[in-house]
Amino acid sequence: MEFESGERARARADLLTAIVLIILGLVIFYLSWTMPRLEERHVHPATIPGLLPMILGLALSFCGLLLGLRSWSLEAEGGWQALGRALVGRPARRVGAVVALALFHTLVLVGWLPFWAASMLFIFAFIVLFEVYMTDQPVDLKRSAPWAIAIAIVAGWGISFIFEDIFLVRLP
Amino acid sequence: MFDGLALLAQGVGHFLTPASLFNVVWATLLGLVIGILPGLTATMGVALLVTLTYKMPPDQAILTLMCVYLGAIYGGSRTAILLNIPGTPANAAATLDGYPLARQGRAGLAMGLATTSSTLGTMVGIFFLAIIAPALADFAMEFGSYEFFWLALFGVLISGQMAGSDTPLKGYIAGILGLLVAMVGMEMLHAYQRFTFGVGALGGGIDLIPAMVGAFGFAEILTSMKRRTIAHVASVNDRVIPTFREIFQYWRTIIRSGVIGTFVGIIPGVGEDVGSWSSYAAAKRFSKKPEEFGKGSQEGLIAAETGDNAVVSAAMIPTLTLALPGSAAAAVLIAAMLIHGIRPGPMLMVENPIFLYQVVAMLLLATLANLVFGLSLTKLLIKVLAVPRERLMAVVYVLCVVGSFAITQRMFDVYVMLVFGVVGFILREMRFPMAPLVLGIVLGDLLDINLRRGLLLSDGDISPFFTRPISAVLFAITLLTIVMSMPVVSRRVTGVFRRLVLQDRTG
Repeated sequence: MEFESGERARARADLLTAIVLIILGLVIFYLSWTMPRLEERHVHPATIPGLLPMILGLALSFCGLLLGLRSWSLEAEGGWQALGRALVGRPARRVGAVVALALFHTLVLVGWLPFWAASMLFIFAFIVLFEVYMTDQPVDLKRSAPWAIAIAIVAGWGISFIFEDIFLVRLP
Repeated sequence: MFDGLALLAQGVGHFLTPASLFNVVWATLLGLVIGILPGLTATMGVALLVTLTYKMPPDQAILTLMCVYLGAIYGGSRTAILLNIPGTPANAAATLDGYPLARQGRAGLAMGLATTSSTLGTMVGIFFLAIIAPALADFAMEFGSYEFFWLALFGVLISGQMAGSDTPLKGYIAGILGLLVAMVGMEMLHAYQRFTFGVGALGGGIDLIPAMVGAFGFAEILTSMKRRTIAHVASVNDRVIPTFREIFQYWRTIIRSGVIGTFVGIIPGVGEDVGSWSSYAAAKRFSKKPEEFGKGSQEGLIAAETGDNAVVSAAMIPTLTLALPGSAAAAVLIAAMLIHGIRPGPMLMVENPIFLYQVVAMLLLATLANLVFGLSLTKLLIKVLAVPRERLMAVVYVLCVVGSFAITQRMFDVYVMLVFGVVGFILREMRFPMAPLVLGIVLGDLLDINLRRGLLLSDGDISPFFTRPISAVLFAITLLTIVMSMPVVSRRVTGVFRRLVLQDRTG
């Protein structure tokens, strides 16, 4: 049942994607068409920089159109509602939380703190959030936190040590 | 012939040093662990490891990556057998018979069969790699811009068609998106910067490694964390090492699956999963006991695991001789080779002939290591499955950041990884395959430069693209690929063939 609902949601999501692809393809075509043709450098008209992007833009729009027609022709009763539920459901919230944590780590913590410290904080927050709060079977914070701290310290220090000191790779 | 054997012996001898063997051991074990853990794929493992091998000598770096690649593809069969979840997409077909075998109390035997058939699959692939690659490289010397244009286009199209989505259209769209990504940055013919919108960091284009780490690493984390799944691991109480008879009574299946895997591996961008499914389907078709397939058939498991491992070796054929990646992981290997100053393509056999045989040696050592660890560390490797996903994925994300940053040491590449991760996740959720996208990124430059160079050589005339003999053949194959992907045409062609077969049988 859930599978069928997923298929119906996907059929409608395909329609939205098709519209995005058609517009994206046309924008790329326009940008390629108006791209400098380097006449002042006597570049052959058949070798202008915008040639392939122009073709690809048109191809993308065409494929988008076909995808849209396909999606339109599919029976997907209740597809929009299923799509709406998929976008606000618990799995979507879990994905949103991972993205938010990743952005906070990369855009805020890295640069502000040394990389090992930023990584330790990220790993700790990630484990506690998904083991204690955003889960169907929550673990007690007193049980999860010590593990999270231990893994954060070992992984944060270990990654820095292995990459920087053993393999001589620079870290952010 | 003897030159080839001498070079092969030289290749193997080159790696029989303590340092190389040490790298084989740790990289294979790491690959096995990556493969066993659901959510970590071979491509992701190879992409993340490029960073770690950055400062190694080129031969050791590629050896390490190859061991991780092969180890991960093999390791995924463990999860397929014990958890009914493919460790990597390549092992999906192995779940069909592997898991039923485990439920019958024969998990050890299933793992032993998977291990042995993986080794045999790699061996078949290696055999064809050693034979076909030098000949293909020689033949590819005849290729000019027109031929490379069609090859690149064919690669993206066939990958799009066979990547396994609900419609080939999504594969084509993914391929076009990949090609468009490759259009960003300075083009090589007139040094003009396209689609940079004034962002200096985009001038050099979008690097493959951060894009791959995003599309296969971060996107995989998002997919894994979307739902919490609780899996039950089957217990292993029986013997692991299969008898000679248990394996070789299916020698026809092994050879057939090896050849199918090799053929799939040679086709650009068509990965291990297709090799595994095709071998499984063929084994079922020709089996004396097709009714056992899906219920714990040893033959089915052998076919699936021989097929996917043969792809790994065979994928090196187009990768090394034409610089067309035979699979998504092979695309990362091309990027790694370029980082280390090795230029795959037809000139490889002229500039660095020993390298091809070194790759053969790497595959040999990696598969032997898989065999030894696979048969001996059964219980220890299963313990890896006990690691909770929440704890693992947090660490994997940090590795994704390191992996995307370290090559060029720019935070911009980390942002690229994030964007590709989120976009890749959304595309996956909507059943857009990732392999054509990657192939598009890799082949974009090749397609662009050869299209425009060809047109320059012919003064704007497009006819050489269709009239030169090899070009004409490649064009016909490309056209056929597109036409056959149309449901109306493929239905009609299948119908005609079916009628012909029926007439043949009745008449």
